[in-house]
Amino acid sequence: MQEQLSALLAKAAAELPAVKTRPEFEAAKARYVGPHGELTALMKQMGGLPKEQKPVVGKLINEAKTGLQTHLDAALARIADAELAAQLGPAVDATLPAPDFGPGTHHPLTLVREEMCRILRKVGFTVADGPEVETEYYCFDALNTPADHPARDEKDTFYFPAASRFGNVSKKSPEEKYLLRTHTSSVQIRTMLKGEPPIRIVSPGRVYRRDTTDATHSANFHQLECLYVDKNVTVRDLKALLDYIFASLLGKDTKTRFRPHYFGYTEPSFEVDLTASHLPKVKKPWIEIGGCGMVDPTVFEAVGYDPEVWSGYAFGMGLERLAMLLYGIDDIRYFYQNDLRFLKQFA
Amino acid sequence: MKISLNWLRDYVALDASVDEISRAVTFLGFEVEGVVTTGAPKLEHVVVGEILTRGKHPNADKLSVCTVDIGPAGGVKTIVCGAANCDAGHRVPVALPGAVLPGNFQIKQSKIRGQLSDGMMCAPDEIGLGSDHAGLLILEGKPALGTPINDVLPPGDTVFDIEITPNRPDCQCHLGIARELAAWFKLPLVYPQEQFRGEVGGPARADLLAGVEVHAPEDCPLYTAHVITGIKIGPSPAWLQERLKAVGLRPINNVVDVGNYVMLETGQPLHAFDAKKLGGNRIVVRRAAADEKIVTLDGKERALTPDMLVIADAAKPVVVAGIMGGENSGVSADTTDLVLECAIFKKQSIRATARKLALSSDSSYRYERGVDPHGALEAAYRAVDLILATAGGQVVGPAYRVGGDVPWQREIVVTEAFINEKLGFAIPAAQMRAAFESLELNVTREEPTEQPARGLAWTVSVPSWRDDLDRPIDLVEEVLRLYGTEKIPAAVVQSPGLLTDDDPIVLFNRRATDYLVGHDFHECVNYTLRPAKEVAAWTTAAATAELGLANPFVEEQSHLRPTLVGGLLASLQLNQSRGVAVSRLAETGRIFLERNGQTVECAAVAFLLAEAVDERSWLKREGADFYAAKHHLAAIAAAAGVDFARQPLTPLAGVPGWQEGQSAGAGDIAHGWQARFGLVNLALVKSLGIKGKVYAGLFAILPEKLSADAARRRFADFSLLPAALRDVALVVDAATTSAEVQKALLKSARAAAGNTFAVEKVAVFDVYTGPGLPEGKKSLAFNLVFRSAERTLTDEEVNAVFQKVQDDVVQTTGWQIRK
Repeated sequence: MQEQLSALLAKAAAELPAVKTRPEFEAAKARYVGPHGELTALMKQMGGLPKEQKPVVGKLINEAKTGLQTHLDAALARIADAELAAQLGPAVDATLPAPDFGPGTHHPLTLVREEMCRILRKVGFTVADGPEVETEYYCFDALNTPADHPARDEKDTFYFPAASRFGNVSKKSPEEKYLLRTHTSSVQIRTMLKGEPPIRIVSPGRVYRRDTTDATHSANFHQLECLYVDKNVTVRDLKALLDYIFASLLGKDTKTRFRPHYFGYTEPSFEVDLTASHLPKVKKPWIEIGGCGMVDPTVFEAVGYDPEVWSGYAFGMGLERLAMLLYGIDDIRYFYQNDLRFLKQFA
Repeated sequence: MKISLNWLRDYVALDASVDEISRAVTFLGFEVEGVVTTGAPKLEHVVVGEILTRGKHPNADKLSVCTVDIGPAGGVKTIVCGAANCDAGHRVPVALPGAVLPGNFQIKQSKIRGQLSDGMMCAPDEIGLGSDHAGLLILEGKPALGTPINDVLPPGDTVFDIEITPNRPDCQCHLGIARELAAWFKLPLVYPQEQFRGEVGGPARADLLAGVEVHAPEDCPLYTAHVITGIKIGPSPAWLQERLKAVGLRPINNVVDVGNYVMLETGQPLHAFDAKKLGGNRIVVRRAAADEKIVTLDGKERALTPDMLVIADAAKPVVVAGIMGGENSGVSADTTDLVLECAIFKKQSIRATARKLALSSDSSYRYERGVDPHGALEAAYRAVDLILATAGGQVVGPAYRVGGDVPWQREIVVTEAFINEKLGFAIPAAQMRAAFESLELNVTREEPTEQPARGLAWTVSVPSWRDDLDRPIDLVEEVLRLYGTEKIPAAVVQSPGLLTDDDPIVLFNRRATDYLVGHDFHECVNYTLRPAKEVAAWTTAAATAELGLANPFVEEQSHLRPTLVGGLLASLQLNQSRGVAVSRLAETGRIFLERNGQTVECAAVAFLLAEAVDERSWLKREGADFYAAKHHLAAIAAAAGVDFARQPLTPLAGVPGWQEGQSAGAGDIAHGWQARFGLVNLALVKSLGIKGKVYAGLFAILPEKLSADAARRRFADFSLLPAALRDVALVVDAATTSAEVQKALLKSARAAAGNTFAVEKVAVFDVYTGPGLPEGKKSLAFNLVFRSAERTLTDEEVNAVFQKVQDDVVQTTGWQIRK
């Protein structure tokens, strides 16, 4: 019996490594351990042995069974490996470029706008929006712009024909003309009319000036304005906000300064300059970046807020100008051409 | 406006440097756009010397050794010189040891090629006079030896180009800026003292001016006229010419120059007539008659309208009031008698006329912004003084004044506490009061406030030239300006929480853009204003007309956009034309659509998928198709809260811009939103010069339909038991849509399954046309998924239901099961 078992194991050791496929394997397995297999046949002989030999032979058979199973397992593992290997092609050349387009890119104006909104959100400003087609009231009257102010002139502002009707742009009075907003300050008016103070909004958006397009001017461009209305708001608070914004954007060494200026809707009014290291293509120590001031009491009166109770500040700047400064872009027209060689540079 | 430093010094003793003055002007609130300095700077140890002898330098061919006499105090010096013109007899500037020339060039006694030199003789550029370096500056007129060079050279000047904000017309002149600088530097302001004070010396000359009538007093509250006889027109004296030239004006003659000078000094425009040319010896301030014309001094004929104010003689207009004189009445070389006008005109009237005539002048510029209503007489007196001094003559009577003194009294009460509260930091009360007074905002009363904590209260009298000051807040700005905005102390941002979120449009744009960028689109930004031709390609002729501006600036930006796809196609074309391979472009922005006969402003997102015709790749990817566009559009709709899968789709037929049979739409802007997607019209794409097919999608929604708060989703339980799957193919007409068949199948399946188990899915998985099917038919194969929440379904029960589904569909629709 022992010889027969040894011979069987040796045969399996020789035969199983040559098995290549699953059907061959199943056949081989059946030949050894199947109901009619050779090991099964030997096990059946156990019944005819004398009682005292049974434990010895039983042990031998068990050993043979384990040995055989090891050979079978090895063969099966080898076949499974071979099957997986067959699914693979030749090794890749990792240096070949991916043939897909991409990645997609955010426009630099979006990047700058979102960065500003994030900075402002941290100090409690939320983003407000309003129509780009506006009326004279929201764009000028409510902002303390005199009736014969040059900004209203047809030379400088785009108007629509008197017969135009914009279904979802509300008018204050029927005789007002529709126009393309010249600043996003109209959003401040609409926000104040819609809600109650305190208010803290940032309104980024597209504005229009009737202007010749050149390296620094564009018929439409983007502004970003902040409006803060609360009790006891001061010039110092306004300065603190500007310091915070530009230190967040450009680094801790950034400084801002206010120069007194004039805007109809703020009093006092200032122009804001900043100085920062590491700005590309900047040669002057101070760069003008925007305008700001304390909301003029006339504006509060126009929206029905009591100027004795409420005070506030507003700040506005051009997004193209900021993006040009941050990235060192020297021609505003690049923003509107969408040359992929431009778009891919920023994100 | 150009402001001369020398001129300013007539009124205020400025000794600050040019940089300090620039800085002061800047922080007073006026932008300094440029600074030009002429003449030599202040130089020490540079004196007049005369070259006594010139000899050759022993060791250098191009150098000379000169002896130079610098007067009794300095004696005779030996100086090595390289200039060609260092000839004996010339008097020249000599920089002695200790002098510092421009560019921080320090002069010392030194040896030049072995020869001792006691200083340097200077060329013009070396002492800061322009850039001439051709030779030594030869001083004409034998100036005394040893005289400091600044005493010999014409005095230099510095001219500031200052932008005056529209609220400060009082600073459109030298006195105005001088007043501001005097306040800043805490120096006294000295006004010019007129000799003439209105007393008329000579006899009345009714033959020159018999009367002045003002027929439009609301537009001309004050008109003054003085008659001066016996003048002699000629060039102005040098000092006056220098002043005008310094600020960029061309001297004309003494009378015209005086008018300009006084305007630039006081801000008050003046006008001089040749008295002999005034028909009827009268001046009439009136509105122009219809069809009246005047040839203005610039030689152009101007058609006047009855809303325009003119100065006329008895017969004809002689001046467009406050704007420009006529050729028919101006001062000329042979004028001997003149009428000097000094008047106040209403700014709105001047502005309207100037705009209508498209004519502006230094005079109209000032009137439009507003002149000091109480400054006219002083200016007239000043001009009389200067005319008498430069052109001779005498004032003859009477002096005309029509219209009254414009009443002016304005007082503002402001408290110390109010100013500090607005500023957010404290400025000492004494400094506040000093600020007011330095600006001639005289404090007429100072008293403690009733509440002691509010400090002092001041009653401030506002001078007539400061019409911009009206309220306490206006005075806060004055105090801050003089305190210095650079001294606003730093602080921490106050940010109490607010319970609001970003506007829904912003959230929608952000979600859509992030999706598109995440799917390899390049975000573009195009102009909102488009050419009419592009707009017409995307909408009806009637709608195009509605989108036009009343006053476009350029033809290619004349209409609001009704789509974003037009701009994206332009971007695609630009990239292709530049040889830049491009495939996916996207944009968010406003578009303008027609809704119930009106135009509505919509928030919109669009994308395009173009064949990357120029791109060669080692591994070719499948191109875009209609269903890719549909896929992206569904995602954008979802960003707006629209469940696209539930929306009925309509093929776009005859919709401008889109290719019929290859595009579809959903929604309707009349109900709040609208989508279009598919193949862009082939002919349109070709006409734009774009290569390859372009698929696109556009989603537009009314801003008011966007909501910040999407309804919160509820969890739906699902079965963990195995599903039973069955496939069925139906033969239908080629025109029958998949959705139609799917709907019929789903209805039959639900009916067949009843309440026994769920029909989880009915989904198309194959579309076939070709051999084996009749002409005009197609086969749509669907996968049906059944599942129960309670038990594993048996084949028998599923088969029974499946059979019922097939029988029912065939019976209700007439479609055939494809075996």
